[in-house]
Amino acid sequence: MRRARPAAVYLVLLAGAVFTLGPFLLSILTAFKSREQFARESTLAWPDPLTPGNIVALLTGPAEFGRAILVTLLAATLILIGQLISSILAAYAFARVDFPGRNALFWVYLSTLMIPPVVLVVPLYLMMTEAGLRNSFWSLVLPFAFASPYAIFLLREYFRGIPQELIDAARLDGASTLDVLVEIVVPLSRPIIATLTLITIVSHWNSFMWPLVVTSGSEWRVVTVATASLQSQFNGNWTLVMAATTLALVPLLVLFLVFQRQFVRSITFSGFK
Amino acid sequence: MASSSVARRGALRRRNAITGYSLLAPSLFGVACFLLLPVLIVVWLSFQSWDLIGPVSFVGLDNYRSVLTDGVFGNSLLVTLVFVALVVPIQTAIGLWAATLLTRGLPGSAWFRTIYVLPWIAAPLALGVVWKWILAPTDGALNALIGQRVEWLSDPSLALPAVAAVVIWTNVGYVTLFFMAGLLNIPDQVLEAARIDGAGGLALFWQIKLPLLRPTMFFVLVTTVISAFQVFDQVYALTQGGPARTTDVVAARIYYEAFGAFDLGRAAVMAVVLLVILVTITLAQQLYFRRRVTYELE
Repeated sequence: MRRARPAAVYLVLLAGAVFTLGPFLLSILTAFKSREQFARESTLAWPDPLTPGNIVALLTGPAEFGRAILVTLLAATLILIGQLISSILAAYAFARVDFPGRNALFWVYLSTLMIPPVVLVVPLYLMMTEAGLRNSFWSLVLPFAFASPYAIFLLREYFRGIPQELIDAARLDGASTLDVLVEIVVPLSRPIIATLTLITIVSHWNSFMWPLVVTSGSEWRVVTVATASLQSQFNGNWTLVMAATTLALVPLLVLFLVFQRQFVRSITFSGFK
Repeated sequence: MASSSVARRGALRRRNAITGYSLLAPSLFGVACFLLLPVLIVVWLSFQSWDLIGPVSFVGLDNYRSVLTDGVFGNSLLVTLVFVALVVPIQTAIGLWAATLLTRGLPGSAWFRTIYVLPWIAAPLALGVVWKWILAPTDGALNALIGQRVEWLSDPSLALPAVAAVVIWTNVGYVTLFFMAGLLNIPDQVLEAARIDGAGGLALFWQIKLPLLRPTMFFVLVTTVISAFQVFDQVYALTQGGPARTTDVVAARIYYEAFGAFDLGRAAVMAVVLLVILVTITLAQQLYFRRRVTYELE
């Protein structure tokens, strides 16, 4: 077989790129169209006039999208902080402290990676209801803020690569375990912490099933749930619905384009999600 | 002397235990409360009857009997299997092909790679809603493009393939990324030697590259099978399990059983079955992988 010419390869790659980007571009273009133009002209027509009306309507109107964005960001940030602190502490214990039961516990942590999130939805809902936390901000945060076995696993691998001499030297100078963590381990682990930050923010910005189940009404709605409810409420009003999907998609696209190297590395490195 | 060193070692052990468990405390709380306890609760709940409002009552195996005999869950399992069988092979093939095109050292490859991964990091629910419009019968973009009215999502024979296509579109970039890494890991000398022996193009791919990609292939297949088994967001956005339950995958069925029909006992049974299936797949993969590795070392 002859080796395919670069021109042919580029043609295939370009077709793939158009097909991949198409839905994103359609969502954004339609979001900036007036409803009248959408009804009158071809769905593929360029927006004329280009109007931010749909986006503004979402952010200021009864859909309360602005609030949903804030709730999502706040929940994701708190989950991130909680997960990073608890995972760094646990990973250091597993990597560098020789305590009884260490291997057995690590095995238990690892085995929880096999539990599919879908399975947890019903019992967590029951727990949140019993605790009186259903449809509260904390029900979005609590189940995820204390531990991510996955993050612990990745951090432990990384911590094991930090030279023990550095830690011993600090110890001789009288540093406590927390000093060692804050002054040596965390600064040396910036790349993996950056990776985990991206993974956590992305997966909780995108998260849908749990917020859908545990919240009701618009008070603690997250962006994905607000998008879904808008679609069922205004089925057919596609310019408004596409404004919602655009608001849900674009922030992550920007984040991705800014940090694309880190993203690509973290996906191949960790196989998230 | 000896006794003091024993005492010192005892003190060190005790101090390590205290340090270790204090460091673990927050995550131990999280793992116990929000991962292990829910699994116990879901197993317990599968033997109860509960409608979210009334009292919880023990019903023995009744939920299992009804779930395993009334055909609704059987249908969901079948739909999920067909879905996995559609999605995984197709996205693996496309991803592998894209990866071979992107590892030829052509300028701009990194850009294409970035573009292809975009759908993977975006919200599956939002993308599902975008595709719902693209595939809409009268004012959808796809029908406008082909100039025909096709009921992509409400025709029972088209709905599942359509949902599968959207999920494939989402995942291809992720698969591509792994195969690119795998292909770039093949040593140049191996490929050079094969070329000198006269292998080119297709032969090089089938006889040299593909066998060397086996670990990557294995990883990709296992992770994508497991995630395809749990698909929910796209189904919720596109079809809500319809038409006529042709896209009623297991995760959607659990959701509708629990929060649509308010039968938490039955939903718990389905969750337990899904847990058993996915844990079995993971353990089987572990066993297989261990055997393969030792085989290769011999």
